[in-house]
Amino acid sequence: MHRLAGRVRRARRWGRATVLATVLGVTALVVPQSAVQPTDVALVKIRHAQGVATGGEDVVWILAVGSDARPGQAMTRARGDALQLVGINTRTGAATAIGVPRDSWVAIPGHGREKINSALYFAGPRGMAGAMRNLVGIEPDYVMVTRFPFFEDMVDDIGGITVTNPRRFWDPNLKKEGFRQGRIHLDGYNAMAFSRIRKSLVGGDFARSANQQRTLRGIHARIRSQADRPGFIERGVMSVMAHTDTNASPAELFEIAQAVAQVDPRRITTCVVQGRIGFVGAASVVFPDVAQARRLGREARQDATLRGC
Amino acid sequence: MPSPSPGRTPWARRVVAPLLVLLVSFSTACQSTAEPSASPERLSRDDARVTLASHPVPTRTTIHRVFGRLPDARRKAVRKQVGAVVDRWWEAAYLGGAYPRSSFPSAFPGFTDAAEARARGDKALLTNRTGGPRIDSVTARKRSVVVDIIATGGQARTVTAHVLLRFDTTGSKTGTTTVRGRLFLTRKRGAWRIFGYDLAKGAR
Repeated sequence: MHRLAGRVRRARRWGRATVLATVLGVTALVVPQSAVQPTDVALVKIRHAQGVATGGEDVVWILAVGSDARPGQAMTRARGDALQLVGINTRTGAATAIGVPRDSWVAIPGHGREKINSALYFAGPRGMAGAMRNLVGIEPDYVMVTRFPFFEDMVDDIGGITVTNPRRFWDPNLKKEGFRQGRIHLDGYNAMAFSRIRKSLVGGDFARSANQQRTLRGIHARIRSQADRPGFIERGVMSVMAHTDTNASPAELFEIAQAVAQVDPRRITTCVVQGRIGFVGAASVVFPDVAQARRLGREARQDATLRGC
Repeated sequence: MPSPSPGRTPWARRVVAPLLVLLVSFSTACQSTAEPSASPERLSRDDARVTLASHPVPTRTTIHRVFGRLPDARRKAVRKQVGAVVDRWWEAAYLGGAYPRSSFPSAFPGFTDAAEARARGDKALLTNRTGGPRIDSVTARKRSVVVDIIATGGQARTVTAHVLLRFDTTGSKTGTTTVRGRLFLTRKRGAWRIFGYDLAKGAR
C-alpha cells in the first residue's frame, strides 16, 4: 500500500515536472529573448502622415476617355465610348467618379447637339471636355484619352486588378464564359471586357458605366497597395505616357499618380448620370437627366464628394 | 574521414596570424577613435556635443533607378540636388537649431507653398515639435536618401526620394527616433521642390 502511494506521488511529481517543462519550453519559444535582443522587442510608437499638393485648387478634375479608335486611327479623332469624370481632393483624400453614358444627347461646343461620344471625333479632347462641362457643369483640368488595347497594357503593367462584380454577365464576343458574381481578379484583357460589355447587362449603358467605375476602384486599390514599392509609380507614369494622349506633362502625371495613391478608398463616391432611352431620327440615344448631372457637379465641385446618386 | 594534410597547419598559421594582427589593429583603431586614450580627462557633456557636431553623419544619397534616359552627369546632379533638399528639411525640422524649443517656424525649406501648408498641419510628425521642449540635444545616427527618377527628353522630371533619418535625443526625452518614408519632388522654378510626402515617425 505504501509502495503504491509512493508510486502515485512520484507519478504526480513527474507529471508536474513535465507540465512545468512544457510550459517553460513553450514560453521559451513564444516569448522572445528580450535580454539579448533589446532592439527587436522594444516598444515602438509609429505615427504616419501623408499629403500631396498639386498646386492651385484642392480638387483636380480629370476626364478619362476610352476611345473606340480602330488600329491605325488616331484615338483622339474617334468616338469616346467610356466617359468618366474623376475628381481627386488632394487635401482630404476623397475622390469621385461621375459616369456619363456614351449615347447621351448633349450640346457639343461649336457642333450643336450630338451623342456625347462623338464630341471626341468632332472636336477632340478639348471638345469632349466642353461637352462634359455643358452637361455636368465642371470643366476638367486634364483629359486623358486611351484606346482599349492600351488600357489592357496599362492594367497588365500594374499587375491586374480586383473588382467586386454585383451579378454574373457575359458577352458572346468579348467573354463567352462570362464574369462570375463576387470578387474577381482581372488581367488587362478581362478589365477591358468587364468595362466594355453592355448587351447582357440589365441596366445597359448605365450598368456598363457603373462597371467602369468598379474598374477604376480596382485600379486605385492596386496603385494604393503598391505605391510604396520603389519604382512602382514611376513605371505606371511611364506606361500612361506611352499609352495615352493627354494634356498633362510628365511632372503633372506624376503629381496626379501620387494624389491617386493617397486617395482613401472609404472616401470614394461614384454615380452614373441617369436618363431615358429615346430616338433622334433613327438613332437610339439617351436623354440624360440634366438636373441630376448638374446636381452631381454642384455637390462634387468643391470637395470631390457626392452626397447621393 | 579524410585527415588534414600535414602541410596545412603551417600554411593556416601563416595566413591566420597576419589576419589576427590586422583584426586586432583594426579593433584597436576603432576603439581609439571612440575613446581617445590620450585624453586623461573625462569629457564634459558640452565637450562631447562639440566632438559629435564636428563629425556629423553625412547623408548618403543613391539612385535606385532612372526611368527614361538621363546622362550620367545629370544623374549625378539630380542626386546631389535632391540630397541637398532633403538635408535642408532634416536640418530645419529635426537636427539643427538650439534645443530645447517648441517652435519650428521655418521647418519646410524646399517644400512648395501648397505642400508647406499641408506639412504645417502635420508638424507633429514632420518636425521635432512634440518632443522639442524636452530635448537637450539631437545627434543624427543615419541619413539615407534613395531616389527613383523619371526622365524625358534627357531631363529629369520627377523624383521619389525614399528617406530614412535616425537620430538620438538627450534630455528628459532620451531615445532614438526614426523618420522613414517617401518625398515626392518635381522641378519648379529651376529647383527641386517637395510637393508631397508619405512619412512615418517612430520613437523608442
